Amino acid sequence: MGVITDNLPGVLEPLPGGSVLVTAVDQLINWSRSNSLWPLTFGTSCCAIEMMMATGAARHDMARFGAEVARPSPRQADLLVIAGTIVKRMAPRLRTLYEQMAEPRYVMATGSCAICGGPFMYHSYTTIRGADEIIPVDVYVPGCPPRPEAFFYGLLTLQKMIREGESIRHPGERRRPVLAALPEGMTLDDIRKEMQDLLSHDANVNMTEAAAEGAHYSAELKDF
Amino acid sequence: MEAPNLIAAVQALQPDATVRAQSDRPTLIVPAHALVALATRLRDDPALRFDLLETHTAVDWLDEDRLELLYLLTSVPLGHHLTLSVSVDRDAPVVPTLCKVYPIAEWLEREAYDMFGILYDDHPDLRRLFLEDDWVGFPLRKDYEDDFMLERPE
Repeated sequence: MGVITDNLPGVLEPLPGGSVLVTAVDQLINWSRSNSLWPLTFGTSCCAIEMMMATGAARHDMARFGAEVARPSPRQADLLVIAGTIVKRMAPRLRTLYEQMAEPRYVMATGSCAICGGPFMYHSYTTIRGADEIIPVDVYVPGCPPRPEAFFYGLLTLQKMIREGESIRHPGERRRPVLAALPEGMTLDDIRKEMQDLLSHDANVNMTEAAAEGAHYSAELKDF
Repeated sequence: MEAPNLIAAVQALQPDATVRAQSDRPTLIVPAHALVALATRLRDDPALRFDLLETHTAVDWLDEDRLELLYLLTSVPLGHHLTLSVSVDRDAPVVPTLCKVYPIAEWLEREAYDMFGILYDDHPDLRRLFLEDDWVGFPLRKDYEDDFMLERPE
């Protein structure tokens, strides 16, 4: 994969219609990356328990988003969910885990402690005030701990970021981190609907739309 | 054994032990030098059989300039509990170790040393347990401060 993503833009871009092709490849790669986020088995305190219940149990199963394969080895993981307090002794280990993960790698900071130190911000001799002091974070999920819906809202935000923001033209370039706070007035039903829409959208191919898009691409290619 | 009987039985073994007021469990204040002998007898006495040191921790009474060490004992076969309280000077907190009586005390005492700086006489391996070896100070003491700590703005 690395060879393809490294060399493909350089080979394709000079060709007639090459940049359209690169965009198409981008879409394919981003789609596959966003739907195969393998999280690292990593948790430091109570948020980790919440995360395990949110991701493993039937009601909020993370498998629906292609993200259920928790990997115990950082070399096979794409997503690092920092769930819980990071203390001074854990910080170098967290950094090592992050550096062992292969690119592209994504980081979600869930819960107050991972965002800013939470209740241990003041008068603490050992709690790191936010995981972003150690490693770059892509999505912040607030809560103490976040509800499962909030966690999934964060995961959906990350998937959106991957789909919209990445290009093999600029490997390693990241989008600015976002705070995936549940918008005010949003209910569980809204999130469930969004999840369902997303899942049905991903699982079904609209042949008419796909044909129209294909026609659009071939029209663009003819211009070159 | 019920709490009043238990206290009476232990006070028969150690006459200078006094009852600590305001305790959920029966708690006796004992002098530091008598600790090991008393713990050995509590463990071996067939009527008491305190075979488990549940936990050992400390309280920093800054105003009274003392550290209170608490030993939470449990008898698994007889189902009763007892807490021993030993007070030591904050500036020279030396107590005999309970490692010979309860092997688990080795790590519990390392933790108390790590957090409160209590020195256990005759401890086989008195190193820090949770913090880095080069850590300066004992963070669970009430007057502990370092550069990393933040004061809460009013």
